Amino acid sequence: MIVAQALSKRFGNVEAVRQVSFTAPDGRITALLGPNGAGKTTTLRMISTLVQPTGGCAKVDGLDIAAEPLAVRARVGMLSDARGLYARLTARENIAYYGALRGLPADAADRSIARLADLFDMKPLLDRRVDGFSQGERMKVAIARALVHDPPNVILDEPTNGLDVMTTRSLREVIRTLRAEGKCVLFSSHVMQEVSAVCDEIVIVAHGCVVAQGTAEALLAASGRSDLEEAFVHLTGEALAS
Amino acid sequence: MRPAFATVYLKELRDALRDRRTALMVLIASVLTGPVTLILVAHFVSGLEEKAAALEVRLYGAEHAPALVNFLRRNDVKIDPAPEDYAAKVRAGRLDAVIVVPDDFQERWLSGDEAQLEIVYDDSRTDSGPATRQAERLLRAFNRETAMLRMIARGVSPDLADPVKVERVNTATPRQKGAFLVFLIPMFALLSPLLGGMTIAIDSTAGERERGSLEPLLANPVRVSQLVVGKWLAAWTFATGVACLTLGGFALAASLYAERKLAALMAFGAPELAGFVAMALPFAAMTSALQMLICTYGRSYREAQTYVSYLATAITFVPMIVLFTGLKDERWQLAVPVLGQQAVLGRILRGDAFGLADWALPSAIALVIAVACVTLVARLLRDERIVFGRP
Repeated sequence: MIVAQALSKRFGNVEAVRQVSFTAPDGRITALLGPNGAGKTTTLRMISTLVQPTGGCAKVDGLDIAAEPLAVRARVGMLSDARGLYARLTARENIAYYGALRGLPADAADRSIARLADLFDMKPLLDRRVDGFSQGERMKVAIARALVHDPPNVILDEPTNGLDVMTTRSLREVIRTLRAEGKCVLFSSHVMQEVSAVCDEIVIVAHGCVVAQGTAEALLAASGRSDLEEAFVHLTGEALAS
Repeated sequence: MRPAFATVYLKELRDALRDRRTALMVLIASVLTGPVTLILVAHFVSGLEEKAAALEVRLYGAEHAPALVNFLRRNDVKIDPAPEDYAAKVRAGRLDAVIVVPDDFQERWLSGDEAQLEIVYDDSRTDSGPATRQAERLLRAFNRETAMLRMIARGVSPDLADPVKVERVNTATPRQKGAFLVFLIPMFALLSPLLGGMTIAIDSTAGERERGSLEPLLANPVRVSQLVVGKWLAAWTFATGVACLTLGGFALAASLYAERKLAALMAFGAPELAGFVAMALPFAAMTSALQMLICTYGRSYREAQTYVSYLATAITFVPMIVLFTGLKDERWQLAVPVLGQQAVLGRILRGDAFGLADWALPSAIALVIAVACVTLVARLLRDERIVFGRP
């Protein structure tokens, strides 16, 4: 479970994230929805301890991100904005490297890689070097790498960026599978359809602030609109005006 | 279970070795440096010796100076007539030095007037030096003989013209004559770790950033210091490996020349090789760490490459300073990085005394600098402004 309490981040004079609070429970898919530059990536980086908040705090499974960053990282699988792979290593070696860094014994890593390869339908890719991979194939390796230690919390930053329809669909399947396993899934997106297709909880972020949160139905009711895109435009527009 | 730094170390080594083209290029370059340098130097040294050893002059207008020709023949000097266009050939480097006799030489010489001879040579070509000096020596001897004979004929003691006798006593041992090599081999020894450590130093810092793999790497539950130490050890391993290959190449080439004159100029056998490797090991630790530190500031691979080449240039300058300022080997130099290594390596090559303290001081300083750089890199990678760039 991920809990953010008044998370704030200031870069010089720019307040990138202002008092962001939300809860992403286990066994649910929570989305941070917002336009580009709304502060989604910075929020996710703070939760995964890559960036220090200038205010507020966050807890992952009850562990404070500032006090116990290593323990937090061990309980999080993060697909970050930057998702570079080592081009001269094979897909298997790329994934196994992260397994080893997270303290996974070699045989456990092997089992985990086999399971993820099944899940992502990437068995034939495993022993090829990644430098010839397509965008979608790279994405699969990057996600498998993030999940190799079977983390209870999964953070995905704009996971569908640059993916074709088929890969996007299989990614949704994976996200649902993770939910079925009882994990806490937190992902960010600026694409409405993306979010409405899989999410249980939606947190709308604009200009570094949370402008609304709840289930899709609750958001519709709050905005008084009939479709989610209208509601989104209405809610972020309100934030702009204020 | 394997510690994290070892995981990083093994991954970086594997990654670097997979880059076949670069690895092969570095391998070939380092193995060939020694033999190629020694072949060139040996050619140069023996060429010099041959030119000076065979007494031979180029004479233009020999028919106007029968007395000089007679003197040269008596001294076993081979006389080659110079062609008409000797001046152009000297300029072109085809002839080293030509003695030119004017038409009226014999008459003036006989009558005791000031007789003139010219030596035509090109000062800008260092390899013409021995032949020029030899021609000058022979003419001076001819001069002295003529003067002596004339003084005796007038009943004057020839010693009057030579009140001080000058004799040359050269104290340099044959090894010390290889001063050129004493400069060159340490320079390669100091530059080869830079070549070896470069690829990993760049790839594991600026390369990670450019590739977008730095952020996910830092999100692992591992201390940054572990990551940095693993990367540094990998760069150090490569730097040391390339240094050993380069020095091994020199030792191998030197053994092939063991029978020749070069061997008298410079010994580079097993003891010297061991001394060099002992010096290179801690030095490579320092250069790899320095390379990583400056590459951490590089936003791209290319930018980091530029920074690294500045470092190489800076390190090349130190031996140059020693060469051009004629800095003498003194104690304080041991405490200055690069200068200290240069001084000790020179001592090893010259066959001078070399104690444990001479190794320990420069090496300890190199290791301290290495640890400082590694600590600094780890600190930089904990800084979000360095990792994510300035927003």
